[in-house]
Amino acid sequence: MTRLLAAAGILVLVSAPLLTGNPFFQHLMIMVLFWTLLGASWNLLGGFAGQVSFGHAVFLGIGAYVTMLSYLSLGLSPFLGMLAGGAIGAMFAVPIGLICFRLRGPYFSLATLAVAEIVRLVALNWEQLTAGPMGLLITQLPPLSFAGATVDWESKIPFYYLAAALALSAMGLTHAVSRSRLGAYLTAVREDIDSAEAVGIDTVRARVTALALSAFIVGLAGGFYSLYFRYVDPDAVFAISLSVEMIFIAVVGGLATTAGPIVGAVVLVTIAEFFRDRFQAGHLIFYGLFMMLVIRYLPEGIWGGLRRLLAARA
Amino acid sequence: MESFAQSVVSGVLTGSLYAMIAIGLTIVFGVMRIINLAHGDMVMLGMFGAYWSYTLWGIDPFLSVCIWAPLMFAGGMLVQRFLLKQVMPKGELNTLLYTAGLSLLIANVALFFWTGDYRTLNLDYAVMPARPFGISVPIPLAIAFVMAIAITTALYLLLSRTDVGRAMRATAQNAQSAALMGVDVGRIDMVTFGLGTALAAAAGVLLVPSLYLYPTVGEILIVKCFVIVVLGGLGSVPGAIAGGVLLGLVESLGAVYVSVAYKDTIGFVLFLLVLLFRPSGLFGVGKS
Repeated sequence: MTRLLAAAGILVLVSAPLLTGNPFFQHLMIMVLFWTLLGASWNLLGGFAGQVSFGHAVFLGIGAYVTMLSYLSLGLSPFLGMLAGGAIGAMFAVPIGLICFRLRGPYFSLATLAVAEIVRLVALNWEQLTAGPMGLLITQLPPLSFAGATVDWESKIPFYYLAAALALSAMGLTHAVSRSRLGAYLTAVREDIDSAEAVGIDTVRARVTALALSAFIVGLAGGFYSLYFRYVDPDAVFAISLSVEMIFIAVVGGLATTAGPIVGAVVLVTIAEFFRDRFQAGHLIFYGLFMMLVIRYLPEGIWGGLRRLLAARA
Repeated sequence: MESFAQSVVSGVLTGSLYAMIAIGLTIVFGVMRIINLAHGDMVMLGMFGAYWSYTLWGIDPFLSVCIWAPLMFAGGMLVQRFLLKQVMPKGELNTLLYTAGLSLLIANVALFFWTGDYRTLNLDYAVMPARPFGISVPIPLAIAFVMAIAITTALYLLLSRTDVGRAMRATAQNAQSAALMGVDVGRIDMVTFGLGTALAAAAGVLLVPSLYLYPTVGEILIVKCFVIVVLGGLGSVPGAIAGGVLLGLVESLGAVYVSVAYKDTIGFVLFLLVLLFRPSGLFGVGKS
């Protein structure tokens, strides 16, 4: 059943751009996939291990800046830059994790928020490196050929497939983790950290590993962001609101599930983009509303609720 | 030396208002164990309330505290009764996420109606700063300071001298025992959240003549508030006052003696250090 659903999902994903040439819908689909990617990677730590980070924008910003800077000043291919962004994000995750994981529950959340703000302020003020609030701009992406054809960077299609590949890999990774030993450790941490330690789980190591994996993917997403928008500045990529939106996607979709983030992203991002298209401001109203409804009535999220419904039918 | 005195004065003035916001956050945490992420948005609502009552009806912002604080008190009680109460049994993290949702909802509804434009409220009697002893003191900030002290003193008397205050402190110490002693904890939670909301809104009203207002201003304020309550010890009212003034001083002195660009960073670094090494706050009075 789930396999069938996954196969159908992938088929839809591959063929979707053929259905519409409308740039608004293309952009919408790309944003849904981008947020799926972020939601899935946040879920790795926040969902499976129950560690609610309010600072994941740090890794997004690092990924975006590494990709931009390695391309603009070193001439590195932006795709290598993306990987480097992910890797450097993961490297930063280790010390951040070692510091913040000394704290539990809401205190951990507050600490990650502080780390994120410190990094944002450094990025804003370290002008030699980041150009500060002016931001960085890519005017032209390097030519690339794929399967014998030249990639047209002015079209949204290549970005769509790139985002789809990234989102699928992120979901694949969370699925793999959920079935692995690490996944079991993380669940133990979430359910009862003291008992987990008592039975000999190195919980710091498990949590830091999960954070580093999560940071790697968020770093890739940051790289994607910089290529798609071709512009980054600290308030855009290190914003608290980015960290917060990731949480909302994962929680509303379904914590600790593989498909939750894509469900959350489809629902929330679609509503938000239509709202943004229609009205000038306030497109996150429904994020807030859905979060409040889900926490109160459907703690397992939309996908979690649907899954329970399907299981009850079968 | 003059710039030192100047920074101390402006640090204490701003710090007193930070403290007022932080007291609201800290009593809500102390009594109900809720970290209210929507607290900054309550400040924002107070700011907009004062802005509109001044713009539309010409009511002086410092007088409009008498309208907005009671209104927001009632609003806070309703939020507690109909929204938070049902979520609190689901645990601290769920409540945290719930208030994050509430915060985003309030800020975006405000954005929808009032747009993201930066607004200012200029009082005609407050254009020039007063200059006692050669130190420049902005008049609106000075009035706000005096009123913040008055409100904080009133709150202190409420907490220490009245039955409601005693019941609140008992609930903060141990909700279950308080209930056994006949305290209506549900009612105390409502009063506490109402008070916290009213304090936030009142601080917003007082801040309006001195600060830009826009719907997402709460985001910055709530982050500062966390720094303050953690410095002072979560749940401690004197800690919040000390932490507020301390943060005000750190920011204003840091701007002069370290760097304007990094003045906010100092606060966060201090915050992380205290969180890690003195989780009960600098004065060791909070609950860790």
